[in-house]
Formats: sequence, C-alpha cells, structure tokens
Amino acid sequence: MARPPRIFDRTAVRRHRDRAAAAAAAHDFLIREVADRLADRLPDVRRRFPLALDLGCHGGQLARVLDGRGGIGHLVQAELSGAMLAAAAGSRVHCDEEAPPFADDRFDLVLSVLSLHWLNDLPGVLARIRRMLKPDGLFLGAMLGAGSLDELRQALLAAEIDASGGASPRVSPFVDLRDAGGLMQAAGFALPVVDTDRIVLSYADPFALMRELRGLGEANALADRAKVFTRRALIAAAAGLYHQRHADADGRVPASFQVIYLTGWAPDAGQPKPLRPGSAQARLGDVLGDDG
Amino acid sequence: MNEPSESGTDEVDPKLLEILVCPLTKGPLTYDRENQELISETARLAYPIREGIPIMLVEEARGLDDD
Repeated sequence: MARPPRIFDRTAVRRHRDRAAAAAAAHDFLIREVADRLADRLPDVRRRFPLALDLGCHGGQLARVLDGRGGIGHLVQAELSGAMLAAAAGSRVHCDEEAPPFADDRFDLVLSVLSLHWLNDLPGVLARIRRMLKPDGLFLGAMLGAGSLDELRQALLAAEIDASGGASPRVSPFVDLRDAGGLMQAAGFALPVVDTDRIVLSYADPFALMRELRGLGEANALADRAKVFTRRALIAAAAGLYHQRHADADGRVPASFQVIYLTGWAPDAGQPKPLRPGSAQARLGDVLGDDG
Repeated sequence: MNEPSESGTDEVDPKLLEILVCPLTKGPLTYDRENQELISETARLAYPIREGIPIMLVEEARGLDDD
C-alpha cells in the first residue's frame, strides 16, 4: 500500500507541544472548552465504559473536565509530548498518536480532543481506533475542521503575496465536514455521526492570537513550511491586514475555530442496521396514505 | 514518613501491560521489571518506562542488537 503523503512534521508537532507545555495553563482555553463540550455528550450515552483512552491528551485537560463523569472506569491518557504528558496525572502512555501502541479489542471508549488535525494518516488512525475498540465500543473525537483560523490564513496569504509575489503554507489544511463523514465510514465505524460547532474567540490583537497558538503548541508544523524564521515585517503586515479586515470598535479581533465532532461505534451484531433495499413488508405510500 | 528515594520507583499501571503492543509491528511486548523496559522481540527494540510512563516511541527505544 502506498504511504500517505507526509503533510505534517510530527517531530515539529512534538517540539511545539513540548515548548508550549510550561505555559499551557495560560493558553489552553480552547482545549478545555472543547473537552467540556465533548464530555457533555457522554451522559447522552446511557452506559458504562470500564476502560477508556484519551488519544492526544495534551496536559490531561479532558481527564480533569471528566473528573469521574461519563461512566468511565479507568482512563488511559496518551500523548506525543512528554512535557505535556508530565502535566497529566494517572495512567499515561508516551506515544505518537499516528502509531497508537494499543492492541485490538481493548477499549470501551476512545476520546480525542483537538489532536487529530495534526495527523498525516487520519484515515489510517481512525481505522486503528476502530480496531482498538471492543465490539460496540464508542469513539468520540473533536478536531479542528475547515474554516478554522480562516482570518489568519487569509491575512498571512495576502501579506506574503504582497511582499514576495508567492506564498508558502502557514496555516494547516483542515478536514472538511463532508469528508469527515466519509472518513468515519471508510474507517469501518457503525452508525457514524459527524457534526460541527463554531467557536469564535476574541483577542486583543492579531499578535495575541499568534502567541496563543504557539502557547497551545499549535505553531506551524507543516512539512512544507518555509524553514526560515518568518520575517517580522511579514507578520506585521499580516497583523495589519487582519486588524483592518476584522477588528471591532475596540480594536479586538475575532478568530474562528470550526470544531468537527466525530462519533462512531465499533460494529457489533446487536446494533441497529438499515434493512436491505427491497426487503420492506409494506409500501411507504400505504403508510403515508399518499395516493398521488 | 519515608518517601521512596530511588528513582523510577513509580510502578507502571498493570492495566497498561495488558493493552500495549509495539507501535512499529503491533507485536506483543514483554515487561522487563528490573530494567523497566518493554521488549518487542518482533521489532528487536526495548521501550523504556520512565516514572511509570511507557515511552512507546521508536526514536526513544533501545535496539536489542545494538550491543
């Protein structure tokens, strides 16, 4: 099988997260917020999960939000950054989310908050997650999707084209909502559901946003990024454009994050399934009383 | 109260030993308690356990045939 294209530099992802770990508490609002929204979905599921995994746990934000909620017995936390993992507590594994070191048929629940968007082989990892789940196990993930950081992407692009007549990738490509549904189906999940939620955060200025992204460990880790420091003049020009296009009366700027929630179950014989086409016992028209 | 002073005394969660496999080969691992390592015979690698945390990264693993 052909190897998937290498879009993200996982060594850089690890380094960015390691560096960010020290100041994470000041910058992890988005992670805590999305962890909270993901955790809110668990009580809807009326069952217990004796063994759960948080794949890409950052500094343990989800575990703290869960705090015994959601019927979880034992939570294993896995993360690529050792420095972030050190801030978490309990049962932990230092690993690359791209190659989860877990056996098949083990987990009742796999969770993931804002980590999957840095994976090179998202379809492969989703299929791995499905196999790591016991039959009828649940996967609940939140990732950044298309539309995230569009203001920043546009401002950087315009500033760079102005300055040099060309542009290099600076903001991640994100998965589209429609593609996410297809990915869940291709990974073999039963009853996949995909939905999205827009979170708009407000920053004092574009520089504050860029500091926050770095503080989240979300600095540019694209494999094809320009490997030289971005010139200060370019950043300043982009910040100027950002401000000009988006600033409110007080000079604050918005940053949009499009969070995609992925839900799916490992297939099990007991699950509801659509009937085979043509196997119906009654005509829909009869039920609806529709005689044209 | 006496604090354990020896380094690496944090025991790895026994639950993890039931669910971890080699990230490279997906093969089984053997727990070497004395050296605090998880041995993957299929990949010929030993993954270190530090402060109770298994480091399941190929770049951090020791090659079994290196010495």
